[in-house]
Order: sequence, then C-alpha cells, then structure tokens
Amino acid sequence: MEHLISLFFRSIFVDNMIFAFFLGMCSYLAVSKNVKTSLGLGLAVTFVLLVTVPIDYLLQTKVLGPDCLIEGVDLSYLSFILFIAVIAGIVQLVEMAVEKYSPSLYSALGIFLPLIAVNCAIMGASLFMQQRINMDPSSTQYIGSVLDSVAYATGSGIGWTLAIVSMGAIREKMQYSDVPKPLQGLGITFITVGLMAMAMMCFSGLNL
Amino acid sequence: MAEVKKKGLNTNSNGYTLIYSTIIVVVVAFLLAFVFKALKPLQDINVALDKKKQLLYALNIRDISDAEAAQKYKDVVLADEIIDTKGNVVDKGEQGGEKAGFVLNSADYKAGRLALFVCKVDGQTKYIVPVYGMGLWGPINGFIALDADKNTVYGAYFNHEGETAGLGAEIKDNVKWQNLFKGKKVFAEGTRKVALSVVKKVDDPSTQVDAVTGATLTSNGVSDMLIEGLSKYLVFLTSK
Amino acid sequence: MSKLFSKENKEVFVNPLNLDNPIMVQVLGICSALAVTSQLKPAIVMGLAVTIITAFSNVIISLIRNTIPSRIRIIVQLVVVAALVTIVSQILKAFVYDVSVELSVYVGLIITNCILMGRLEAFAMMNKPWPSFLDGIGNGLGYAFILVLVGCIRELFGRGSLLGFQLIPESAYHAGYLNNGMMTMPAMALILLGCVIWLHRAYFYKEKK
Repeated sequence: MEHLISLFFRSIFVDNMIFAFFLGMCSYLAVSKNVKTSLGLGLAVTFVLLVTVPIDYLLQTKVLGPDCLIEGVDLSYLSFILFIAVIAGIVQLVEMAVEKYSPSLYSALGIFLPLIAVNCAIMGASLFMQQRINMDPSSTQYIGSVLDSVAYATGSGIGWTLAIVSMGAIREKMQYSDVPKPLQGLGITFITVGLMAMAMMCFSGLNL
Repeated sequence: MAEVKKKGLNTNSNGYTLIYSTIIVVVVAFLLAFVFKALKPLQDINVALDKKKQLLYALNIRDISDAEAAQKYKDVVLADEIIDTKGNVVDKGEQGGEKAGFVLNSADYKAGRLALFVCKVDGQTKYIVPVYGMGLWGPINGFIALDADKNTVYGAYFNHEGETAGLGAEIKDNVKWQNLFKGKKVFAEGTRKVALSVVKKVDDPSTQVDAVTGATLTSNGVSDMLIEGLSKYLVFLTSK
Repeated sequence: MSKLFSKENKEVFVNPLNLDNPIMVQVLGICSALAVTSQLKPAIVMGLAVTIITAFSNVIISLIRNTIPSRIRIIVQLVVVAALVTIVSQILKAFVYDVSVELSVYVGLIITNCILMGRLEAFAMMNKPWPSFLDGIGNGLGYAFILVLVGCIRELFGRGSLLGFQLIPESAYHAGYLNNGMMTMPAMALILLGCVIWLHRAYFYKEKK
C-alpha cells in the first residue's frame, strides 16, 4: 500500500511526464492555449494511460518476457509493435466514445484526439513501465503488479493534466503581456515550460 | 484521403483490408524475428563486455578497447566467486568467469547471494565488490576494488542506469571524482563498522569522500549504497 | 540522373534544413528531442536514428501508398515505423551498446515522434518514393541539427567538454571557473530551445518583410 502511494505521488511530481521527461510535448504545446481544452485533453490522456499501461504490463509479463509463452523464447523485440497497436486501438475507441457523447469536446480537441495515439506520453509510460519491471523491488519506481501499473498510469496522467492545465492558465494570462515579437507563441511557451520544469525540480528532493 | 483504386481492386473492401493487415503482420513479424535472431549474440556479448569494462574501471584500467577488455578481464579476474553474508564461499567461479558471480544482479544481492571478484593486478591480490542502491532519478550501482588487506580502496566505479541523465550522471562520468576513492579506508581506525562514505563536509579524510558538486542527493545515494552494500560483506571484510 | 536532382527535388531536400526546420516551424517531434541532449554524442546518434527512420519509413509508405486501405492507414504507418524503430534499436544495442544504454527508452519513443507521422501523412502518402526519401532525409537532418546544437551548448557549458573531450582547460577551473550545473538539468533544454526559436524567428521574419 505504502509503495502504491509513493509511486503515485512520485509519478505526479518527481517523474512528471512533461517536466522531467518532455513526453507528450507536441499536443501539450498545441492544445494548451486555454484551460478548458487543456483539461479535456488531459483527462483523455489520463484515461488512455489508465487503460493502456495495465494492458501493456500484462502483455509484457505474460506474453513478451523471457520464458513466458514458450520456455526459452524471448519475444521482447515485439514489444514496440504490440504496445503501439494496443495504444492505437484504445485511442480509436476513446475517439468514438467522445464523438458520440460529447460532440463539443470532440470539435474542440479536433485533430489531437487521434494524435493521442502518437502522444509520446502514452508510449513513454508503457516503455518506462517495461523498464521498471526489471528494477530493484525496494525502489519507489518499481512496478511489480497490475496495481502498481495502475497507480503509475494514474499518477502520470494526473501529472500530465496538471502540467497542461497550468500551462493553459499561464498562456491565457500571457495574452495580455508584452512579449517581444519573435519570441511570441512558441518561443515564450518553451521558456515558460522550462521555468515551470525548474520550479517542479524542488519536488525532486521529496523523500517518498 | 484520395481513394486510389488499383486495377479494379477495391482497397476499401473488408476482405482486402483483412488480407492486407494479415500480410503486413506476418511480414513484419518474420522480419523482426530474423533481425532479432541475427543480432542477439552480438548484443549478449555487448552486455557482458559492458560489465567486464565496468569491473576493469574499478581496477583503474580505463581507456581500453573492447577487444583488449575481454582479454584483460580473462587475465586479471582469477575467480568470480559467490559468497553468502557469513563469508562462506558458495560457488568458486572460474578464471575470467562469466557464469557464477558475474551473472548475479541486484535481486540476488538483496537475497544474500553476493558476488566477489578475486583479481590479480601486477602480482597483487585485489577484491572487487559490487554494490547496488538508489540515486535521485533511479537505480545506481558500483564496483569497489579493495586491496588484499580488505580495507584500503584500490579503485571505484559507479554507474547510473537511470532514465534521465542530469547531474546524477556525474557519478558515472566524473573520473576525477571516482579517483578520489583511491586509498580511502573502508573502516575507520580501530572500528569494525563501515565508514567509507560520501559527504558534503569531510571530517575524516581517511574514509570520507567529497560529494559531487550540485548532485548532493545522488551523492547521498552513493553513500547509503556503500554503507549498506559493504556491510553485507562485513564478515568477509573483517576476516583475515 | 538529372531528374533525380531536379529543382523541385532539391527544394524538397533543402527546405526543411533552414526555413522549414521541422522543430522550429512545425513544432513537431520535440518530445523525444530534448531529454537526450545533455551531451553531444547521444544527441548525434539520436539525430541520425531519426533521420534514417524518417527516410526509410517515408520510402516504404510511399511505395505501398496505393495499396493501403484508407481505413487502417494510421495503423499500417505505425506498424511500419515501429518495425523500423525496433530494427534500429536492435542494431544500436548490437553495435554501439553504450549509447543505446544512454538513449534507453527514447529510441522506442521515436515511434511516437510526430515528425515521422507528420511527414508520412503530409508527404509520403502523396508522393513518389524518391522525393519522399529526400523529404525524409531533409526533415531528419533539420531535426538532428537542432539536437546537436542544443547538445553542444549543454555539454560545453554544463561539463566543459565536447564529445567527452575536455575543452575548458584545467587552469580556468583553478581561476574560479565553474561548470554550469543548470545546463545539465532537463529544464535548461527547453529554455535553450526557446531561445533558438527566438533567434531563428527574429532573423527570418525580418528577411520575409
């Protein structure tokens, strides 16, 4: 239990997808123009993470790992393809669901919903999960059960949402600031993310 | 998307889509299996070689080519023993061994199956002890080479397997810092408690090493790792 | 042969290298770009890997573009890219093991690199293999250029070395010079990239007017 909680909080604050690993930057930069769409995309990413990471965990431990299916056969080289296939499939489902139940959100997220499939945060979470299975069990980053992977996915998703919503809020305010012309838009956004990442680093000393 | 029809073939029919995806999957699977099978032996050699090099680094044998490293390892390492926490030898290993102590990982280490590399450098016996711990960003490990008195540090190498390399990577790349370990003692004068550690302010220069500037937390991790790790070998280290 | 290097093809290749630089203008593929730039060597390898994968996936998709059922085209693209990335990562592990350890999961993340999918959708699906190849190489190199630039600055100021060779002399350290630890932090990569974009825009926007 303790491990789950520390893993969860560590994924939000210390191992934040955006600020520590720069994962999912494309959609992060493009959609974070205001708080409302940011929140929508954040929730979509969290949901997809929550579904895909445990599935990928089971795939990795039950099918792909060494000696899982057949004694002496290591299928880990298929992990990239299978992970991305799971992600693309789930995203397709989410897209259909959102289109049906919330057309306004669908039109707001526009092209970025299908782009979740190629959102590095989601693929990244699966790949980190794969790496962490082999870690030392006493480490807070260790993922050793489906529950761990759920805690990790939720934490990462919330961390990502937190990052994109706060960025959305800052950019809403920034519209009224006098930014040098060439720096407007992308440039200042990058620098802001950098400063936010630096601020988030104060969590890295957190002893969980 | 422009719908391109090729010689009357309907690329959008269900049957075509199904056959198409099947073919793609089969082709890709075979291709990957082939590449994997072809490259696997090379990769295994690399993984083993990497570990051998780390062991050699701990013996202060750096700047060495891959081919030389494999040969050097064979010459230098007399046995890759496995011992337990009471100092009993479980497996004797062999000269230049890659099967006994060499393959142990952090899980074996936690379970009390300890690797011990007995080496001979310039006619003198050295022992290499692996240690495992946690840095700020992820797991770290290291190899500590000791003189025959099982107290004086002959050399040290630290590695960072972490996800992001920030300042923590300094413990791996900063050779100058690793060299600070040379000549330090594991035990403080007259005691039987592991004292070798990394601190911000050195009180006892015989056992303490300066922390890496700006990487205090990772340095703390190294310190914990040394004390915890070497304590596991306490019986072995204190037996004469 | 002259057709191979016609003016159009040349533009396809050269454009992404300056004005059309994939990171600066299209904001694509930044994700995996930055985390590996704390040193120059992994940045170069990463840049090359992306270039090769972009070029070859462009060619493959362009070759089979007329046969892909449009309903599953994204999946087909992903599968082709994922297969190429797997091959590249296996090759890296087999031949430059130390770099592959350093790149760790970021090689796998090339799959989700938006540059790849962006180029496949926007260019390879509609063009012949040869221009697609050039387009891939051009975009990949544009991307690699930024990585190498950021990697250079970070390694030089963060560690005082380039590609592992110490450049800033020992005497400078004795005179009180200190490596800037900030540069090795992930956050600095973002700020540097922001500044690069700033300079780039300041320069080219003037030119356009």
